[in-house]
Amino acid sequence: MNIRVVLKYLCLLCVGSCCLSAASADEKIAEKLKDSLVYVKISVYPYDQYRPWKKADVQEKSTYGCAVGPYQVLTTTYNISDATFVSIRIDAQNEYIPATVEVIDYESNLCLLRLEPNELAGPLVPIKFSENYKKGAEVQSYWFSYKGHIYSGRGFIDRAEVLKSSRSYAQFLNYVVSNASQRTSSAEVYFLGKKAIGIACWSSDEQEAGLISAEVINHFLADAAGSPKAAYEGFPVLGFSAIWLIDPTRRRYLKMPESMQKGVFVSDVYNLGTGSEELQQADIILEIDGISIDAHGRFKHPKFGLISFEHLITRRKVGETIKFEVWRDGKKQQLKVKARSFKASEMLVPYYEYDSQPQYMVIGGFILQKLTRGYLAARGEDWAGTADPHVFHYYRELAYKPTDERKDIVVLSYVLPAEINLGYQRLGSIVVSRFNGKDITSIKDLVEARQLETDSKYHVIEFENDNPVVVIPRKGLDLIDAQIAQRYGIQNLIHIEP
Amino acid sequence: MSYFRKRLVRLSAVCIVFVWAGLWMQNIATAEDEREQNIEQSVVLIRCVQQDFDYITPWKQTSMVQGVGSGFVITGNRILTNAHNVSNIRYVELKKQNFAKRYPAKVEFIGHDCDLAILSVFDQSFFEGTWPLEFGGIPKVNTTVSTYGFPLGGQHISVTEGVVSRIQMDTYSHTGADSHLVIQTDAAINPGNSGGPVMQNGKVVGVAFQGIRLAENIGYMIPTTVIQHFLDDVNDGRYDSYGSLGFSYYRGLHNPGYKDYLKVPQEQDGVIVLRTTMNSSAEDVLQAGDVITQIDEYNVDDDGMVKIHDLTLLMGEVIEQKQIGESVEVTFFRDGQMRREKITIALNRPIMEYARSYDKAPGYVVFAGLTFVPVTRNFLENWGRDWLSDIPFCLRYLFSYSSQLNTERQRKGYIVLSEILSDKVNSYCGGFKSQVVETINGDTVYSLDDVAQACRKSTDSFCTIKFMGVEKPLILDAKQALESHEPILRKYQIPAESRMEKQL
Repeated sequence: MNIRVVLKYLCLLCVGSCCLSAASADEKIAEKLKDSLVYVKISVYPYDQYRPWKKADVQEKSTYGCAVGPYQVLTTTYNISDATFVSIRIDAQNEYIPATVEVIDYESNLCLLRLEPNELAGPLVPIKFSENYKKGAEVQSYWFSYKGHIYSGRGFIDRAEVLKSSRSYAQFLNYVVSNASQRTSSAEVYFLGKKAIGIACWSSDEQEAGLISAEVINHFLADAAGSPKAAYEGFPVLGFSAIWLIDPTRRRYLKMPESMQKGVFVSDVYNLGTGSEELQQADIILEIDGISIDAHGRFKHPKFGLISFEHLITRRKVGETIKFEVWRDGKKQQLKVKARSFKASEMLVPYYEYDSQPQYMVIGGFILQKLTRGYLAARGEDWAGTADPHVFHYYRELAYKPTDERKDIVVLSYVLPAEINLGYQRLGSIVVSRFNGKDITSIKDLVEARQLETDSKYHVIEFENDNPVVVIPRKGLDLIDAQIAQRYGIQNLIHIEP
Repeated sequence: MSYFRKRLVRLSAVCIVFVWAGLWMQNIATAEDEREQNIEQSVVLIRCVQQDFDYITPWKQTSMVQGVGSGFVITGNRILTNAHNVSNIRYVELKKQNFAKRYPAKVEFIGHDCDLAILSVFDQSFFEGTWPLEFGGIPKVNTTVSTYGFPLGGQHISVTEGVVSRIQMDTYSHTGADSHLVIQTDAAINPGNSGGPVMQNGKVVGVAFQGIRLAENIGYMIPTTVIQHFLDDVNDGRYDSYGSLGFSYYRGLHNPGYKDYLKVPQEQDGVIVLRTTMNSSAEDVLQAGDVITQIDEYNVDDDGMVKIHDLTLLMGEVIEQKQIGESVEVTFFRDGQMRREKITIALNRPIMEYARSYDKAPGYVVFAGLTFVPVTRNFLENWGRDWLSDIPFCLRYLFSYSSQLNTERQRKGYIVLSEILSDKVNSYCGGFKSQVVETINGDTVYSLDDVAQACRKSTDSFCTIKFMGVEKPLILDAKQALESHEPILRKYQIPAESRMEKQL
């Protein structure tokens, strides 16, 4: 046996033992995590958007989570929205343990569940999220399956990227993992070495997985810990949209000196969110908090490299002042921009309305409803292409622009056929403009409008565009409404929040 | 003797009767055969080459297709057929059954909105042995009709019998927008049958023209009322098409409360005017909320129907009986008062044309590689079968709501940036493709005519184009744009920088 062969064997032995030690390191982490990882089971019972007085089918859903406090579990909002009952399973106990939603934030897609201490045999072991990041590093994922095992997968950190969550309009810092060995999108915890760095929130067919980063998680946990549940303010979100400014002709048109190559173009300013009051359409954002923004809207992050400027806003706390340097009217201007968040319900057409009943009024069989994205999306897969274009334009073009004159869009959804609405039964998907002479600026106006013009024989509803005027006789209406409610199984003819 | 004579006379009388009856029967048989033969000889096979334009880059034409259809001889040595058989043609020829000879032909008149066309033949010997077919009326439901034609391109005539199952107003799929009277039969109507006569008692009662893809044994024919309208229209040497009054209405006066609210007597039926088309003949006469109760002498019911041709049909059928320039008398209620006014029938087309167009070279303007075309149905159908849901939102909104969104009387249409012929000057314009132009260098664009001039009118060193619903304008370096204009035309082999829409 020559020396080469001996060396080869030695090498192989070394590699083998390395693998063994790596595997045992994984096992050690997995063992440590058994009192931290949980399986979450949820009963979801959402409302039926087209019959808003009733609920759709009950669905059983599941996700994963991890302890972030002795009696607190962190997960994503997927499958938690419209939950009626949440329970968890842990390694140490056989039975499901009831949990309640303490804070749910659809913008950052994070949810904090609370457990009753007396339901648990002992406190959970919290995981701390560390803001470690190393491009190209191998990462491991862990989750506690419904079978009672801790499963694991692996991948490599490919990049940090600011991405829009499919749950909301907000954009947050994600770590993108490539070559992920398993599909992970349900709050599986990712580790870089021994440190937890994020939880999974999406995966793709290209074996990529997105992680909600430790920075975002820690921001969320700090906010959630610092205030009572009702006062949770969430993250500041953008009150404008910005697009690339790479066209040299456009830069000259905007009177920018040739030496100035940075800056991103503000294409639209909303009526809500950060910058909505301070910025103007056609401003060019040059710097945020003294950090240069390039023509693609990116800045150089010391850890993550080039990432989108939105992170400079979402990383701040609501109410703080953010310094903007903008190019406006051919010169630099300094702006003090207040970091603002907003609730989806403040939007002209709310992006989501989870966990609440759609607002509506049924009168004479006419179903008047508040327009939301959820209502439009309930049409099915091609909802954007098949919705009435006039109704849809309120969502597409004006969703972030509520005004005092227009806080909600109220639509006549459709008509429940009855004798009282003869001739009108094919009306639907049209926008209410006036009710008994009152301009309808929000769904709440319906309640007041219904009490108006009491001397008239009729309730009169008018619509935008070329539509007939709906005339509903007042005489005997209560009785007719009661009959309609009974016939169509409507428990409540109205649900409008005060 | 006298008895004998009597019998003989009787017998001979009986014989004569028999002989007469025999002769008569023979005569009938011969006449029917002859008529059948005449019909068959008068039905012709139409072959043509069709080629449409590319509506995104309209200086180009799409690939050629060969079309086959049927037609038949009518008075004046003319051939009647469907417009869709001979639209966008580059060449057309006719063939008679049992004759090898081909006869090149020419389209004399074409009515796309009613899917009818008249052809003439250069060689008049074509008409030897043919017989101009006569027109009958509207056949009754549940009576038998025979369809003649050359389905699926066969050389021999095919005759199928069917029953008239329904008569109603429906959409003519050739333009996809116009609606006229149609007769439904269960006779199989297949591609190639189109343009063939549908006969009853030796007379033409319709022209076979369309079927339903998803239904079996449902075929449609164009009734003689529509054919007659077309023939009358072309009498002056030009086809003007169907006209209208120019208003939209709602059929919902079944509701007694609504009737009361609009101050219309409860016993009165009618329809409610929702809008008059801008610049239409009805614009100065009617207004939203008027209730139309009568058109000419025809009472309008709550479903918007009138009793006409012994049928109950949509009130539009009254207008369909008349030509552009004629008028109808409209009776309507406004504020409880009954009024009667004359309205002239005119084209009154909407600002965004819903109908597919043919035989027109579409207009365009190219400036610095930016291609501008009018928004038409033909342009939108480039998005494929589900174009209505797949087109960009701004186009879908305009297509559905142009009459509500447009407030400018001088507007003739909408112009879209259909294509960008890439060059350095327009490298950053990609995001504006398929957007609708609002202004160019500050000038509002109301039609294609405005585009070329506005593009060259740069007030400073920039050419700015603003699109509807887009805050950010498209910016070009004006000098660079002018300099690169000609080289781009050459590079992309564009024969001319612009062409206004041209009838072929």
